Parts: sequence; structure tokens; C-alpha cells
Amino acid sequence: MSVGFAAIGAAVGEGYTAGKANEALSFRPNLVGEIMKTMLVGQAVAETAGIFGLVIAMLLLFSPVEGKSILTAWAYLGAGLSMGLSAIGCGIGAGLPAGTACQGIGRQPAVAGQLSTLMLIGSGVAQSTAIYGFLIALLLLYKQLPMEMNLIPAFSMIGAGLCMGFGGIGPGIGEGLAAGEAVSAVARNPLTVGLMTRTMLVGQAVSESTGIYSLVVALLLTLAV
Amino acid sequence: MEIMGADLVKACACLGAGISMGLGAIGPGVGEGFAAGKACEAIGRNPQEAGLLTRTMLVGQAVSESTGIYSLVISLLLLFVV
Repeated sequence: MSVGFAAIGAAVGEGYTAGKANEALSFRPNLVGEIMKTMLVGQAVAETAGIFGLVIAMLLLFSPVEGKSILTAWAYLGAGLSMGLSAIGCGIGAGLPAGTACQGIGRQPAVAGQLSTLMLIGSGVAQSTAIYGFLIALLLLYKQLPMEMNLIPAFSMIGAGLCMGFGGIGPGIGEGLAAGEAVSAVARNPLTVGLMTRTMLVGQAVSESTGIYSLVVALLLTLAV
Repeated sequence: MEIMGADLVKACACLGAGISMGLGAIGPGVGEGFAAGKACEAIGRNPQEAGLLTRTMLVGQAVSESTGIYSLVISLLLLFVV
């Protein structure tokens, strides 16, 4: 049963992150060779969430299961959900500024450096909810569990995974939208880069708040219940 | 081990708290990001209005945040009251 649930968790994590990678790739406009570097950097950032998902899936697959409590199965399922779902949002979110940065460099090759810096800041912030998802997944993986089956910790661990997983999607996409628009605005009007960075960061901070609520509730479910 | 009715209620309340906060965070997250993105776009077109646009963006985001806070309240109620 442990192996079965762990496999479900790993499959959910990997399946969603693979879907995310495809989706992020579809945002890439087909532009010529000089923007190849920016595209690859942007893709590498969008890929980070996928790599987090892969790490968690590997940990789930190669964890020893003999002699573990049956509650471990629920913890592994929660870990897979947390990482897999939150990676969707961050993958899409990091893909959006990368796409507009490629477009912007195609339009204004002179400000390529500023555009890639802004893109990296924006997609870095969009990654943050994937990092929260990774944190919750690790906490669930290495939680000390009692041997006897009890519904309360089982359901609270699934709840923590769902909470952080779904809660990571919205802020990830929203921060990516903000960063994407900021990058395209700088490409149109490069003089406003300082103002734009400030507005983008304020907007992203507000958008992050629901992700932080999810993190708080997931931590409560993991550690306090 | 026998599973008592009260355990089931508590367990389902925990699951419900997670689903409430998780799904409730999607909408405000995307919506606030959308507002921030449009504000950036507008400041890019008309940088003189940056102060006004930032204020409007923050007011809009605060309203959009309210459903996220409702979800937080409901999940805390489920966790600590039920």
C-alpha cells in the first residue's frame, strides 16, 4: 500500500511537471538565433520547478518502505501532491516572462541585458511558491509518524499537500503575468526600467500573500495537528 | 484500531481546511497578478501616472485579496474550532 501510494504521488508529481514543461514550451515564440541565450536561460528557470518535482519523485521512489507506518503512504501522497501541483503554476509563471523577454529582445535588441535581468528577477519571484511546495513535501517526507493508523494525521497530511499544491498554482501564474507585462513594458519604453521593477515587485508581493496563507495552513496541518 | 466518529469529523475538517485554502488561493493569486501586470503595462505607456496607477492597482488587489482571506478564515475555523 505504501509503494502504491508513493507511486501515485510520484506519478502525480512527475506527470504534472512534465505537462508544465510542455505548456511552458508552448509560450516560447519562434524567434531567431540571437535570442537563443535568453530563451535557454528562461527555460532553465522554468525547468527548476520540474527539477524540484523530479527530486521529490526520486526521493519517493527510492525511499525504503519496510517497517514504516502505514501513515507513510498518506505522507508520500501528500508530498507528491504538494510538489506536483505547485510546480504547475510556477512552471507556467516562469514561462510567461521568459516568453515576453524573447519577444522584447526581438523588438529592442539594445536593451537585452536589462530585459534578461528583469526576467530573471520576475521568474525568480514566481518560483517562490514552488519552493514552498518543495519545503512542505520534504517536511511530509521526513515526518516522524506513529505506527498505528489514525485518520486525523492521514487526512491532515493529504490536506497539507492539497493546500500547498493548489495554493502554489495561483500566485505562481499571477506573479508570472505581472513579470511578463513588466518585461514587455520595459521593451516598449526602456527608460522606465527602475519604476517598472518597483511596480512589478509591489504587485508580486501582494499576489504572493495567498501563497503565504497556504504555506501557513499547510505548516499548521503538517506540524500542529 | 477502531475509528471513532469524532476522529472522522476532525480528519475531514483537516482535509477540508487544506482544500479550502488551496483552491481559495488560486483565484486571488492569478487575479492580483493580472492587476499588477496591467498596471505595469499602463505605466509603461504613461510613466507620469505611475503614482495613480500604483494606488489603483493596490486598491484593486486588496479587493481581490478578500476571497483569499475568506478562505484563510474558513480553514482556520475548520482547524481550530471544529
